[in-house]
Amino acid sequence: MTTFKYILRDAFRLMTRNVTLSFLTLVTTVAVFFLVSCSILFVMNIRNIVAGIENNLMITAYVTKDKSSAQAVAEKIGNLECVDSVKIVTPDKALEELRARLGNQADVVTLLDDNPLPPSVEIRLKDAGAVPVVARELLSMEEVEDIVYAGELARRLETLSAFVSRFSFGVLVIALAVGALVVFNTIRIGVYARREEIEIMLLIGATPGFVAFPFVLHGSLISSFGALLAGAGVYFSYERVVSALMASMPFLNFMTDQSVVMDLWFLLVGGGLTVGWICSWLAVSKFVRRAMKPR
Amino acid sequence: MEIKIEGVVKQFPPDILALRNITITIPQGDFVYLVGPTGSGKTTLMRLITREVVPTKGRVLVGGTDLRKLGMTDLAYYRREIGVVFQDFRLLPHLTAYENLTFVQEAIGMPRDLIEERTNEILDKMGLWRRRFLYPEQLSGGEQQRLAIARATINCPSILLADEPTGNLDLQTAEEIMKILLSINATGTTLVVATHNQYIVDEFRQRVISLRGGRIIRDERKGRFEIDDDF
Repeated sequence: MTTFKYILRDAFRLMTRNVTLSFLTLVTTVAVFFLVSCSILFVMNIRNIVAGIENNLMITAYVTKDKSSAQAVAEKIGNLECVDSVKIVTPDKALEELRARLGNQADVVTLLDDNPLPPSVEIRLKDAGAVPVVARELLSMEEVEDIVYAGELARRLETLSAFVSRFSFGVLVIALAVGALVVFNTIRIGVYARREEIEIMLLIGATPGFVAFPFVLHGSLISSFGALLAGAGVYFSYERVVSALMASMPFLNFMTDQSVVMDLWFLLVGGGLTVGWICSWLAVSKFVRRAMKPR
Repeated sequence: MEIKIEGVVKQFPPDILALRNITITIPQGDFVYLVGPTGSGKTTLMRLITREVVPTKGRVLVGGTDLRKLGMTDLAYYRREIGVVFQDFRLLPHLTAYENLTFVQEAIGMPRDLIEERTNEILDKMGLWRRRFLYPEQLSGGEQQRLAIARATINCPSILLADEPTGNLDLQTAEEIMKILLSINATGTTLVVATHNQYIVDEFRQRVISLRGGRIIRDERKGRFEIDDDF
C-alpha cells in the first residue's frame, strides 16, 4: 500500500514538476487521438455508405406506361433462379418514395404538376454477379424502356473505400507514431531530469520496477487522459456533424449509431493507456537498465 | 555479511588496469581503511562491492553470494544491505534534509509511520534535528556529511562503504564523523572506509589495507598510515 501511494504521489510530482511539458504532451495526445478517431469514423462511414449501396443492389426496370407491362415483366423475371424478389412500383408509389428520400427537401416535389415518374419493377438479386445476365434479359423485353442499376457504382465505391481505408490506416499509423514519440520524449526528459535521484535510488536498493512505475504511470495518465478528451470531443460533435451532412446529402447512408462512437471512445482510452504505458516503459527501462549495468 | 574478494583483476577499456589480482576477506563487523594514492584502486574496490563494477577476472562474494550472478531485482535487494557515503555526498539538492532521508526509505517501500519514526530518530542522533527543514546547500560541510551518513545508514545496512568521509572537513568535524562511524561499526555493521586522512587512520586505529597501482601492498590489523608505503 505504501509503495502504491508512493508511486501515485511520485507520478503526480512528475506531472507538476514539468507542468508545461506535461500540458504540451497532453495537447499533442488530444490532437493525435482526435485525428485517429476522425480517420476511423471516416473509414466507417465510407464503408457504411458503400454497404448501403451494395445492400440496395437491385435493378430497376422502367417499363412502358401500359398497366400490364409491369406485371408481365415481374412475372417473367421472377422465374429466374438468381432473382431474390420482385416489386412493382407504381408512379404514385415512386413519387412517395422520392419524397421520403429527399427528407427536408421533399417540398421540391410539389413544384411538379404531373407525376413524371414511370412505372417500374424493382428486382433484388441474390448475387451481384448475376447483374449483367438479368440486365441483358430485361433489355431484351419489349415492355422495358430502360434499366438502372448501381452495380458499377458499388464496385467503384468499393475501390474508393479500399483506397480510403489504406490512406486512413496510414494517417492512423503516422498519428500514433507521433503521439508515441511525444510521450516517449516527455518521459525521457523527465527521466534525465531526475537521473541523479534514480541513480541513488538504484544504489540504495530500489527495484527497477519501483523506479520505473511513477514514470510509466505519468506517461499512461497523460496519454489516456488525452484520448479521453479527444474521445469526448468526437462523441459530442459527431451527431451534429452527421446531421449536417445528412441534411445536405440525404441520399447517403451515414452511420448514425452513437453507441458505435461510444465504443470508439472506450477503444481510444484503452489505446491511449496502452500507447502511454509502452512508450513510458521503453523510455524509463532503457535508462534503468543502463544505470544498473555494471561496468 | 562477510566480503570475499578472490583473485580480482579489473581492466577498464582500452587497457587501464585498475586492480591486479586482489584477494581480501573482510569478516562481518570488521572496520577497514583503504588507503593509497589517487588511482590506486580504492574506489574501484568499493564499487566492486556495490556491483557497479564487475571483475574482469576473479569473483566477489558477499554473504556467500557471487555478485556476478545477481539478476536486476536480486541486485536491488542485495543493495539494501549496503550503505554508501559518497565523497561528494550526492544529497538531492531540491529536497530538505528530512526529505533526503525519507526519500531513501520510500524508495525501498518502507511503511510511512516507520519512515517518520526512523527519520526523526536518526536526525536527533546525528544532531540535525534543528536543521531538518534546510536544503543541503544551507548546511555546513560537516552537516552535509552527517546527513550523507544518516542517509546511508537509515535502512540499517550490514555493510557501510564510505569514500573519503572526512575529505574537505576540518579536523574537529572529521573526528566527529569518525566517532559516528565507529558507533555504527559497534552495532555490528561492517565498515570499509577509503581515505587519504592520515590523522584519522592513526588516531582511530583499525585494519588498514594499503593499495598502490591496483595491488595490495599492506594489510595490517591496527595499522598506521605509512606515507612511504601508502604514497
